[in-house]
Amino acid sequence: MRLLEYEAKRLLATSGIAVPNSQLLHTPDELPEVFPAVIKAQVLTGRRNKFGGIQLVREQGKLAEAVRSVFVADIDGYTATSVLAEELLDIDREFYLNVSVDRDEQAIVLMAHKDGGVDIESQPLDAFFREVADDTTETQALRLAEYLGLESQEFALGELIGKIVGCMRTQDALLCEINPLVLTRSGILVAADCKMELDNAASFRHPDWDFYDKPTSANFVELDKQGVVATIANGAGLAMATVDAVSAAGYSPTNFLDIGGGASKDTVLAAFHELMTYPLLDAIVINIFAGITRCDEVARAILAAREEIANLPQLYIRLDGTNVDQAKEILAESQLPLYPSLGEAVAAIGAHNV
Amino acid sequence: MSSVFAPKSVIVQGITGSHGSFHARAMRDYGTNVVAGTSPNKAGESVDSIPVYRTVRDIQAEHEVDATVIFVPASAARGAIFEAIDAHIPLIVCITEGIPVHDMLAVRQKLSTSNCVLVGPNSPGIAMPGQSKLGIIPSHILSPGRIGVVSRSGTLTYEAVSDLTRAGLGQASVLGIGGDSIKGLDFVDCLAQFEADERVDAVVLIGEIGGQSENKAAEYIKTSASKPVVAYIAGHAAPAGVQLGHAGAILGTQSESAVYKSQQLRDAGVTVVDSVTDIAPAIQTRLGVTT
Repeated sequence: MRLLEYEAKRLLATSGIAVPNSQLLHTPDELPEVFPAVIKAQVLTGRRNKFGGIQLVREQGKLAEAVRSVFVADIDGYTATSVLAEELLDIDREFYLNVSVDRDEQAIVLMAHKDGGVDIESQPLDAFFREVADDTTETQALRLAEYLGLESQEFALGELIGKIVGCMRTQDALLCEINPLVLTRSGILVAADCKMELDNAASFRHPDWDFYDKPTSANFVELDKQGVVATIANGAGLAMATVDAVSAAGYSPTNFLDIGGGASKDTVLAAFHELMTYPLLDAIVINIFAGITRCDEVARAILAAREEIANLPQLYIRLDGTNVDQAKEILAESQLPLYPSLGEAVAAIGAHNV
Repeated sequence: MSSVFAPKSVIVQGITGSHGSFHARAMRDYGTNVVAGTSPNKAGESVDSIPVYRTVRDIQAEHEVDATVIFVPASAARGAIFEAIDAHIPLIVCITEGIPVHDMLAVRQKLSTSNCVLVGPNSPGIAMPGQSKLGIIPSHILSPGRIGVVSRSGTLTYEAVSDLTRAGLGQASVLGIGGDSIKGLDFVDCLAQFEADERVDAVVLIGEIGGQSENKAAEYIKTSASKPVVAYIAGHAAPAGVQLGHAGAILGTQSESAVYKSQQLRDAGVTVVDSVTDIAPAIQTRLGVTT
C-alpha cells in the first residue's frame, strides 16, 4: 500500500524525524496560514512538479490561486483530493535517501546520493551509497557522512538512519524514500518529501491503518478491459502460467486471478461475478491444480455460477489435485467438458471460434 | 540428498486447524512418520491418533523430532518458526502464506545464528516420492525416480510433477521453496543439493518474475552444475510494477522479467521452455529418453 506524502510524513514525525511545518487542505477554497509556502498536490504518483502539482508561493496575493491550480492540475492522470501547504525550508543542501526491504540482500538496504531532487532515477547506479542498513553501529553513519560530505552531521545521520529503520519496523513499511533530504542553513536534517509503502500482509496488526490508498487484492489484476478470454487459477505461479498460455495462443487475457490456497465455493463464485464486468468476454479458462484448495469446492462454485449468472461465457475447465474425483462426480451431470491439461483447455478455445 | 530432507520423525505445528489436520493425515497416509503436533489450546487431544501437545518443547520431552511442518495462521507464523528454531529442529517447512515481510526479516536474522534449514514460507513443502512428503503436495502426482524438481510456485510444481509422472519420469526430490520475497532455502541451495545427489539425473527449475533468484541460479549452473536442467519462468505476459498474487511476484527492473531470466538460463546451457506443459518432453529430450 502506497501512502500519500502527508500520510508518510505523519508516520515519520511519530518516529521523531523532522518534517516541515504544514497544513492539509481539503478544498480549493481554503487559504493556508502557512506562508511563504510550497503547495503540493497529494497524489500517488511521482513527477508532480512537471504537471503543475507543486507551486512555490512567495507573494501572499498569489496563495489562493496557487492552491486552486494545484487542486485542478491533471498530474499524469491523477487529480488531488487534498493539498499540502508547507513552510519553505531555508535550504543549504539536498540529498537522496532510500531505505527499503531488499529481497536479494534479504535485509533492509540503505541507499543515498549526494544530489537529491527529481532526476535521481537518471543517476548511474554505482554513484549511489549502498549498504545493508545497520542501525546499531556508528561506523555506517561515518561512512555515509563521508560519502555525502556531511562530516559535521555524522551523529545526526546515525540517529536518522536508526529512526527510519525503527519507523519501518514499527509501521511494517517496505520502502521509505526521502527525496530530498534537506540540510537547512541552521543545520537541521529535514525530510522535505517522502514516499512510503506499507506491507499489506501486516494489516492484521494495524487496526489503525486508514489510508487513502486502501489495500486492493493482489490476487486480481486487470490486464486488458477489451480482452475476450478471462482466467481463473489457483496459486500465483499457475495463474501466471495460465495468462502466459492464453497470451501465447494469440488471445489478449482480460485478467490475472489467483483464487488463492484453500479457496472456498464462495471465493470462486465471487471470482465469476468479478469477471462478468468485461464487456467483450467470450471465454473463461479455469485452471485449478489443488493442493490446499479442494476441487470439489471449485466444482460446486462452477455449478452455482451457471445457475446464478445468465450469460456466462463458455467455460474451459481443467481440474486436478486434491479431491478431483469428487469434483468429477459433481460435474458429471453438467455436461461441462473437463480438459486434461492447460494446453488442451486453451487449444479448445480456438475450436469454438472465439 | 542429504538426510535433512528425508527426516525420520516429523511434527506438525498447528495440527488441529483445518489445513493442519487434513494434511497431517495425508502426509501420514503417504508414509511420513508424523509423531505429534502442536496446538496451544488443544493439548491432550489427538488428530486421527496423532497426539497433540501445547508446544514443540513438550513434544521433544517424549519424541525425537527432526522436522516440523508449519500450518499456523500468518499472524502466528513468526512465533511458530522462532519456536522451531529455539528447539533446534534441523528442518523447518513453513506452508503459511501472507507472513509480513518484517517478520521474515526477523526470522532470517535468527536463522543465521542457527543450524536449522528453513523451507518457505508460502511453500507447498517437499517430497521424497515413494518415501515421505512434508507439506501439501498432492500424493497421487508423485512417483519415485531420478528427477530433481525445484520451484518457487506451489501449483506450478504440481503441474510439472504431474506431467513428469505421466511421462514416466519419476522424481528423486521435489522442493517447493515458496514464492515470498524473504525466505529460507533458495534455488542455488537446491541446485547444489541436486548436483551432489547421486539419485538425481536431471533437474527441473520453475521460476517466475521478480527478484534475481533465477539469475543467480543461472550463474551457478554456468559454473558448477553438470546435470541437465530444464526451466520454465512464469509471467511472460505480466505487466511491470504490478504485484501478481503472492508477495514475491512483482516485476520491477528489466532483469527481473521472465524474458531476461529465460535468456540468462539459456546462456548457462539450460533448456528453457515457453510453457509449463513443455517441461516433461524437454526432460525426455535432454535425457535421450524415447517415448
